[in-house]
Amino acid sequence: MNALPGTKWQTVANQAAGRHDVTEVQPGAGPTVRRMLLGSQLRRLRIDKGLSREQAGEAIRASEWKIHRLENGQVGYKDRDIVDLLRLYAVTDPEEIAVFLVMAHEANLPSWWSHLSDILPQWFRAYVDLESSAMLIRAYEGQFVPGLLQTEEYMRAVMRGALLDDSQEELDRRVRLRLGRQQVLLDQTDAPRLWAVVDEAALRRPVGGRAVMRAQLERLIDATKLPRVTLQILPLGAGAHPAMVGSFSILRFPDEELPDVVYVEHLTSALYLNKHDDVDQYLHVMESICVRSRPPDATMEFLDKLLTDADTT
Amino acid sequence: MLPSHSFEDADPNWVPPEIDTSVAHSARVYDYWLGGKNNFPADRALAENILKVVPTMRTMARANRAFLSRAVRYLVKEAGIRQFLDIGTGIPSAGNTHEAAQETAPDSRVVYVDNDPIVLAHARALMTGLRAGETAFILADLRQPEAILAHPTLAARLDFTQPVAVMLVAILMFFRDAEDPYGIVSKLLDPLPPGSYLAISHPTADFNAQAMAGAVAAAEHSGITLVPRNRAEVEAFFAGLTLVEPGVVPVLAWQPDGEPPAEPESAYYYAGIGRKP
Repeated sequence: MNALPGTKWQTVANQAAGRHDVTEVQPGAGPTVRRMLLGSQLRRLRIDKGLSREQAGEAIRASEWKIHRLENGQVGYKDRDIVDLLRLYAVTDPEEIAVFLVMAHEANLPSWWSHLSDILPQWFRAYVDLESSAMLIRAYEGQFVPGLLQTEEYMRAVMRGALLDDSQEELDRRVRLRLGRQQVLLDQTDAPRLWAVVDEAALRRPVGGRAVMRAQLERLIDATKLPRVTLQILPLGAGAHPAMVGSFSILRFPDEELPDVVYVEHLTSALYLNKHDDVDQYLHVMESICVRSRPPDATMEFLDKLLTDADTT
Repeated sequence: MLPSHSFEDADPNWVPPEIDTSVAHSARVYDYWLGGKNNFPADRALAENILKVVPTMRTMARANRAFLSRAVRYLVKEAGIRQFLDIGTGIPSAGNTHEAAQETAPDSRVVYVDNDPIVLAHARALMTGLRAGETAFILADLRQPEAILAHPTLAARLDFTQPVAVMLVAILMFFRDAEDPYGIVSKLLDPLPPGSYLAISHPTADFNAQAMAGAVAAAEHSGITLVPRNRAEVEAFFAGLTLVEPGVVPVLAWQPDGEPPAEPESAYYYAGIGRKP
């Protein structure tokens, strides 16, 4: 695995600190998070000047909606847009302008997964970036073992079960991508913390057959020993719960500026929510299921029990 | 019938705690001031209302947090304490008690107590120590010190024949005098052996009566009790104990790490540590 792009970023950000207090990007931050940060800093400059999105749009010959998307990091900036916006916001120091331009360029650098991009649907690319930039990933999974904790065999069984019309080669590449995500997220010292809640039902479904499931449960037991992984099991006995509607993740970033991002995956697309109203509701649901789930220090014992049950039935 | 493997295995009558994020909660308000993202609209509204009357509240929250770290380091290094009972844990942040303690003494044991299920879920998930089993968590309320002391987790983790430090950092202000906070503190200390410690930080109106009155009004408006206390009232929590130098002082002036602070009264908290003789 190549080093993640962007280690030189910090130096540039530090030079600018103290002027407009450009937020430091963590090494390893992917392009999506860089765009979000660039957008949030330009938003702050605009608001400090008391300008509307419409007024900013005029300066770059674009709509209010385009400014909205730029400031949320949903689309990339062109150099000319940045220069024009900074002029409007009365940022004239060439060094400072350079910092913003470098930030925009780095947001266009390839991600660690770019050699596998042909098998990554467009809507999933941002997630893979966001995930590797997060400091905390909170995930609820109702149907599967979370992708980051899957064994290769379990992964293959899930993918075959999804009946995607894939060749063997494509399937292999999907598996490589997921294993790559595991390597990025679980093995690095500055990796994000994973706090996952898994429904008991997902652990009782023998995906791939008994042998595969047994190895998967053993993998989960090992995962509970990792310092940066917290696993809680939502018991069947908890009855109806607020997350029954489906799986979702909440990604939290180290920068105070950046809001949490909620990720909800569908069959052919995905939702990325970062508005306070949406995030608050998902965070509430996540807190509700965490307090309903068995505490993390009871997870290993429960997984042991599942293994025993599997042997005797 | 509830599952036997419920959250609190010890209690067969356990029901899932209901959480209410529609009203402000002190731990989440504090999280907002510290730059955290574990807060909801009601929490942010109260935090902002208090910031209107106490514009430096964020710095004060950090000053209070920094006292926690200095206090724990003092207790581990100077007083040789290896057991902590931290009540009113709050949402995990930088420099939690077990981190500050285990940094110097990896064998330090910490029992965290909080009455809020969300706080406790975060603590259990994120405040795992260097070694398994050396941090533990109890869902309980300081209003019932007997329940805390009688909790099986406490007996399993802390050895009451050895000294224990009780940490009451920014929690006693939630108690009116009528709720007998002095009696509660003394009940907590009763079973502890000589050489045990008590650490307290507490908001005060002594340094800026007007700002503190505004904060009290904002908190009460959101349904949160906030009782600032003067120096003598904070000192009274240490009745029967020997105060460690420099006594009950502004939180910034309690054994500061570097130079003494230029304006020790710019954070409206008192702090102190006492030793049980």
